[in-house]
Amino acid sequence: MSEKAATAGSVPASTAVPSEQYNYEIVKKFSIAAVIWGVLGMAAGVWIASQLAWPFLNFDIAQITFGRFRPVHTTLVIFGFGGNALFATSYYIIQRTCQTRLYSDRLSLFTFYGWNLALILGVITYMAGITQGREYAEFNWQIDILIAVTWVVYFWVFLMTLLRRNQPHIYVANWFFMAFILATALLHIFNNIQVPVSLTSPHSYSLFSGVQDAMTQWWYGHNAVGFFLTAAFLGMMYYFVPKQAGRPIYSYKLSIIHFWAIIFLYMWVGAHHLHWTALPDWVSTLAATFSILLLLPSWGGMINGIMTLSGAWDKLRTDPIMLFLITALSFYGMATFEGPMMSLKSVNALSHYTDWTVGHVHSGALGWVAMITFGSLYHLIPRLWNTKIYSLRLIYIHFFLATIGIVLYIVSMWVAGIGQGLMLRAFDEYGNLAYTFTESVVFLHKPYVVRAIGGGFFLLGMLIMAFNVAMTILTAKRAVPATDASRATAATAS
Amino acid sequence: MAEIWSWITDLGNSKIVALLLFMTTFIVIVIYLFSNRRRSTRFESYRYIPLDDEDSHLDPNAASGDRNKGERS
Amino acid sequence: MKHESVETNAGLLIILTLAVISVGGLVEIVPLFYINDTIEEVEGVRPYTPLEQRGRDLYVREGCYTCHSQMVRPFRDEMLRYGHYSLAAESQFDHPFQWGSKRTGPDLARVGGKYSNEWQVQHLINPKSLVPESIMPGYPWLATTPLDYDDIEQRMIALRRVGVPYSINQEEFDANVERFGEETAVMLDINRAEANLIAQAQEGNFDGDRSFISEMDAMVAYLQVLGTMVDFNQYSEGYFAEFR
Repeated sequence: MSEKAATAGSVPASTAVPSEQYNYEIVKKFSIAAVIWGVLGMAAGVWIASQLAWPFLNFDIAQITFGRFRPVHTTLVIFGFGGNALFATSYYIIQRTCQTRLYSDRLSLFTFYGWNLALILGVITYMAGITQGREYAEFNWQIDILIAVTWVVYFWVFLMTLLRRNQPHIYVANWFFMAFILATALLHIFNNIQVPVSLTSPHSYSLFSGVQDAMTQWWYGHNAVGFFLTAAFLGMMYYFVPKQAGRPIYSYKLSIIHFWAIIFLYMWVGAHHLHWTALPDWVSTLAATFSILLLLPSWGGMINGIMTLSGAWDKLRTDPIMLFLITALSFYGMATFEGPMMSLKSVNALSHYTDWTVGHVHSGALGWVAMITFGSLYHLIPRLWNTKIYSLRLIYIHFFLATIGIVLYIVSMWVAGIGQGLMLRAFDEYGNLAYTFTESVVFLHKPYVVRAIGGGFFLLGMLIMAFNVAMTILTAKRAVPATDASRATAATAS
Repeated sequence: MAEIWSWITDLGNSKIVALLLFMTTFIVIVIYLFSNRRRSTRFESYRYIPLDDEDSHLDPNAASGDRNKGERS
Repeated sequence: MKHESVETNAGLLIILTLAVISVGGLVEIVPLFYINDTIEEVEGVRPYTPLEQRGRDLYVREGCYTCHSQMVRPFRDEMLRYGHYSLAAESQFDHPFQWGSKRTGPDLARVGGKYSNEWQVQHLINPKSLVPESIMPGYPWLATTPLDYDDIEQRMIALRRVGVPYSINQEEFDANVERFGEETAVMLDINRAEANLIAQAQEGNFDGDRSFISEMDAMVAYLQVLGTMVDFNQYSEGYFAEFR
């Protein structure tokens, strides 16, 4: 049925009048931007993964060495692909669930240009060597200000739209988006308190130093995961999963518990990135405890999403979009189990600083964030352009490429991380270190090659998606004159 | 105030602190959600918000696929 | 207060959400600023000299933190491999901190003094020439690019604003003499920053060319001071454990 729903595009002529009720233009812009940044960001990812496997790819060119290019990858996938997808879906969902038009077309357009300008400037400055040296917050101080202004406008548009709703209840997806907007503002501001070298200089120094700076940064870093990459995407999930399944969310009460528990708990766990460091023990113990607790609401949310499909499991066989959404939830469940486990101090002692962490991040980022975004965009794009998707088969191909890519990625990183962790802590019979660091680097070569291949699969899927989306949009545009003609006929008939 | 902070920040107490904070919040929310039948029914009616957004007559642009959903399920 | 009013009132939802998300950060971060035990009392840790600080800026610029940590953990294997575990005190003047999160290459917290200047220069230009299995990129441009130190005073003033004890007047200078000794205090004087930087680069001869102050001079000067400030022989085994 949903396959039909996804493909049903032959709109009756009488309904083809362009709507003024919702602002779809802005959603279209953000959706296209998400796809473009997705391609670029994932290509950058495959590039740096290949640099680790074949270091000659650094070519001794400063601008593309791993150290300068890795922030390009992380920024483009998190803020470019993820961020634009969140803007698109949040603007879409809030209009649909509040049954009202966005508060301001101009201001929402401003968020589009502000956000994407920040990304472009970010890429240029990173490659030029301008960075704050804080992971996932490398933007220099001027760009930080641009982002902050954009974000405040985003908040304002979102809030004012909420206040104009034609529906007394605020649907739970919007709670998640609101929490994401508020938390991101808080995190962005407090993690980017910098003193510039001068007003014209792009460089600055962070207000905090050493241990306090580390704690602030990882409070930011983990909550970027918690709110940007989880809470917001859960908002996406709470709309698109029921919508695509054609049935309501499994339990609304569970979603309320899920919301409050997850936003409360996430803020505590950042310090698990600093186990065994010079950070005081009490902080990391607290963080580890809360990390374990976090498993409960995470799985609650996952169950809520998956059980929405209960009684209609056959959709998984017929609807590739549903396949994306449900697989995303499964990876979410896996990553949120792995995360608390890695936050245990004993496990962390082995896993920290190794590729296991990288693999864990990607099981969340590729498995959960990207998959739920793919599903949502495939649902969204035909509706925005009032057409049907160009090719369902290509969605299937994308799904399988993405899944193979993720599996190769995660498994190779498990091997790499656990293997290196064990090598580095191995002793020989005399109590000396059994391996040098260099020997562990040699061991990593094969997993790195497999990882780069896995990333390549995922990128290929993304490219197919870009093609599919482009063709969908082009077909829709070509079909417009035809629709106009049929509308004229309909008008004469009536 | 400082004493409370030092109790909270004491390594030995952190697990208790975490447990207390989490449990109280959790229990309050659960009690609230399940204590009243009328409220329960009301909550569950909100589940349909995403599916109800098509029937606005002001929105002729909705894809027909969605519109037929209600009839088929 | 009814939950119903929360879910039908955007303002209330915002306030409650803000309250809920603030708790974790407040409880974990705020105490770090006023619990004295957070940073160990230890002799020897001083702010970076102008040249070292410029080297640190380059370390940040090149994104070294994406592959190297600066945080030795208190495990037997790490202490054998890298040295004494890192103290919070050792990064108290690090704006921003560079503890890192991934060791694609080894930890650098105690790399200072482990290798000669010549080794560091050669290794930065072409890592494979010294470690054939290395996957580290080369940084040949460090050796050929002149170090930009026009804004060194402004940089030190900015660092002074965020709390690094660089001195700008006699009073602060005297305080530094008291705290770090005469020789170090001179290096921390903002008014003499440029002269100090040039002198250290020429005397240290980090890149093997006294006539030319390259970025390599600054980078190697920074690497060579990493982890060398504290003399661990002064302290008994259990001393630092009290602070953890």
